Amino acid sequence: MHSSRPQEAAGFNRPLLLSPGQDLRGYVFDRLGRSFLFFITFLSVVAVLLIFFFIIREASGFLAGPYVKQFFSSTHWYPESREHPEYGVLAILGGSAYVTLVAMLVAVPVGLFSAVWLSDVASFRVRQIIKPVIEILAAIPSVAFGFFAVLVLAPWMQTRFGFDTGTNILNAGVILAVMALPTIISVAEDSMSAVGMEIREAAYGLGSTRAEAMIRVVIPAAHSGIIAAVILGVMRAVGETMVVWMASGNATQIPSPWWDLSKSVRTMTATIAGDMGETVQGSVHYQALFSIGILLLVFTFGLNLISEHLLARVRRKKEA
Amino acid sequence: MKFRIFPREFRDKCFTASCMFSVCLMVFILVVVLFPMMARGLKAVFFQGTNEFREMQLVVFGHGDAERIQRENGEIEEARAFVYEAANRFRRGIDTEHLADEVRGAYRDYGSYLRAAGISGERYSAQRARAKDLRDALLDAFESRDKEYVQSRLQCVLQSRADPDFGGTPIEAYFETAESYSRIAASVDLSRREQYAEAFGEVREALHKLFGPGPGEPAPALTMDQYGATRWDAVERELHRLLWSEDWVETEPGRPMVKETRARREFFAGTELEPVFDYVETNLEKLFQPRFTFYWRYFMDGSTDGHYFGGCGPEILGTLALTFFSMLFAIPLGIISAAFLVECTGDNIAVRVIRTCINTLAGVPSIVFGLFGMAFFVLFLFPVIGEFGHGTLGIFSAEAADKLTKPNILAASLTLGLLVLPVIIRASEEAIRAVPINYKEAALALGAGQFRSFMTVILPAAAPGIFTGIILSLSRAAGETAPILFTGAIAFGPVPDSILEPTRALSYGSYDIAVGDRLAMLVPHKQYGMVMTLVALVLTLNIIAIWIRSRSSRKLRGL
Repeated sequence: MHSSRPQEAAGFNRPLLLSPGQDLRGYVFDRLGRSFLFFITFLSVVAVLLIFFFIIREASGFLAGPYVKQFFSSTHWYPESREHPEYGVLAILGGSAYVTLVAMLVAVPVGLFSAVWLSDVASFRVRQIIKPVIEILAAIPSVAFGFFAVLVLAPWMQTRFGFDTGTNILNAGVILAVMALPTIISVAEDSMSAVGMEIREAAYGLGSTRAEAMIRVVIPAAHSGIIAAVILGVMRAVGETMVVWMASGNATQIPSPWWDLSKSVRTMTATIAGDMGETVQGSVHYQALFSIGILLLVFTFGLNLISEHLLARVRRKKEA
Repeated sequence: MKFRIFPREFRDKCFTASCMFSVCLMVFILVVVLFPMMARGLKAVFFQGTNEFREMQLVVFGHGDAERIQRENGEIEEARAFVYEAANRFRRGIDTEHLADEVRGAYRDYGSYLRAAGISGERYSAQRARAKDLRDALLDAFESRDKEYVQSRLQCVLQSRADPDFGGTPIEAYFETAESYSRIAASVDLSRREQYAEAFGEVREALHKLFGPGPGEPAPALTMDQYGATRWDAVERELHRLLWSEDWVETEPGRPMVKETRARREFFAGTELEPVFDYVETNLEKLFQPRFTFYWRYFMDGSTDGHYFGGCGPEILGTLALTFFSMLFAIPLGIISAAFLVECTGDNIAVRVIRTCINTLAGVPSIVFGLFGMAFFVLFLFPVIGEFGHGTLGIFSAEAADKLTKPNILAASLTLGLLVLPVIIRASEEAIRAVPINYKEAALALGAGQFRSFMTVILPAAAPGIFTGIILSLSRAAGETAPILFTGAIAFGPVPDSILEPTRALSYGSYDIAVGDRLAMLVPHKQYGMVMTLVALVLTLNIIAIWIRSRSSRKLRGL
């Protein structure tokens, strides 16, 4: 019915006025089509709800059980111990914090400088070359980065710096920094470009150098986008699995002394990935791993909401 | 005034320089990360293959020209015969336990020989006693370290050679043994027999690594042990192990051990084994017949345990299957969602919730997707469907229902599809939004309905952008590991014949080959080869995407 030929659609041999039947049919089709599309789109919402529901469902036995207090207060993670299994997540949280912190210490300055360079220094042609480089960096699979960390970076660190082990905080942190860089750069650059040209011109007009214009004017004006960039970078680093699993050494400990980055740690994602294969479905250990999943989920969900709020501000600025 | 300007300019220059430095650092990192992986990975495909490689390919995978390999092997066996003979001769001198066993065996055989010949009574005991004397003399000779004593005992044995009583009996072998041992005893320093034996064990091991199992040796159980050095770099490595012995020696007490490299040629100087080292070193080409090999079947062949031999065909196939099925799920959903978000709605609360959820979905860590995929698809949804389909409807076989309860390709694909869904939605939405509004206005003005104007005007105009997004999400799905860990990836297993079976995948394989597999550590080129294949696949997809986008953006700008 719908697929009448183009001449007819624009033709004059058909009355322009619709009959009530046609009108009704068109209305019903329109409504049906829209609700179908809405239903499909709504699947994303359903997916998110299902994710939350099923992760929480699998973890619920643990969260209602006797180990919850220990979970949040102990640093001992010995889930496979026969007599005294312990499920303290603090050391694992610490591990995630360590590698993320190191990653951000490296990635934020480098990322911001690169973003400034891309938005304000580089010429159009150079930018056309560098942007694909960033995209390719973002496209390299995480397992390839992990592979590099284990087989290239770790032996190099061990021989070059004499560390006890090549798979340590520094290794994982540096690789995570590289992986977070593309996200940070592109979001930060977007928000800096969103700061209008006239604001830059005003700054230059007042006699400031480029450094002054950027540091005093543009970056403060773009702060919400830059914070969002850092948050997205943190999310990438916290949620990354393969690299930390392969490169962080997987030793459940809080390094001592605290500044020793050559120690191995274990992160939340690596714990899930590494332990899940050895657990029995429905055991306390299994549920504890899902509880770590909840922590991850809640953490990234919260950060996501914040970054979304900040990025909405950037978008409004761009439109204004 | 000048005084004030200078530090400001300096600071400005520093700032610009740091920006430059950051970008250069990033490019540098990209090169540092990619270069070794690519360069070493290519060694899995391009290398100098020896005849062992060609033979392995023929036997294990059934590729290659059988006749030619046969001919080559004939030449090579001839060349290798010298080595094996020398080693055998040397072994007889060192391995006296083996010789002693032989001698004792011959003595026992002699007893039964006599009985079979109908000799009994006193003559039997007399002959046995004489044979026993010979045996003891030989055993004494094997036992002793004193050259002269050895020779004298051997002479005792050899004196009885002419004795007609022993002609044609098992004892006759004693004379051969005595003769060859006297020759060996003359050349070998008997007091160093234990050292020789130990060093000879290493030599044999090195020879085995080089040439594979020698003639007469039983075929080892593992495929990796059945062939010698298949590549020229392996030949060189093993040759070094053959020619040089490396020991950790303590120079001073309390100091770290020092590695000492010594030539085996000197160690074995004067023995039967000495010429072997020179022979192998000078005739290496003859012994292996290396040829430049472009092993393109690397991308198709299966592999033996630990990826020791073979390629990554099943992994590539698995990755393609996972990606394909995840896209089958994600592309329609993604484009429809994007169309709905752009065309059908304004900015109401429902849309805002949907958007937030899409962003949340994009931010969920990949390992949580893995957990979800396992908890929802593998442990909840599929078993329910399987039970329903098998028990209630009877359309599934019990086998299929059982497979549904285990990790499989379908579960992994759906999980991956969910993971890339937000990527596709965002990219498609952006592409549809980028189509100028007057396209739509023109279509509507010509009388096309909303549906038709979208399908025939807006979607084609947005197609390059959507396509770019799809390719990028393809590469994302191909590279992700964490979501498929618990939902359908295995490190080893047969090529799946349905989507209800788990599969190997490049991404998980790269993990396993780097960390999980001890055998694979012995073959670094295979490790790098796998990750190179993955990276090459992903980067090719990305470069195609970048190219399409730059072309279409040029078109939009009217160039």
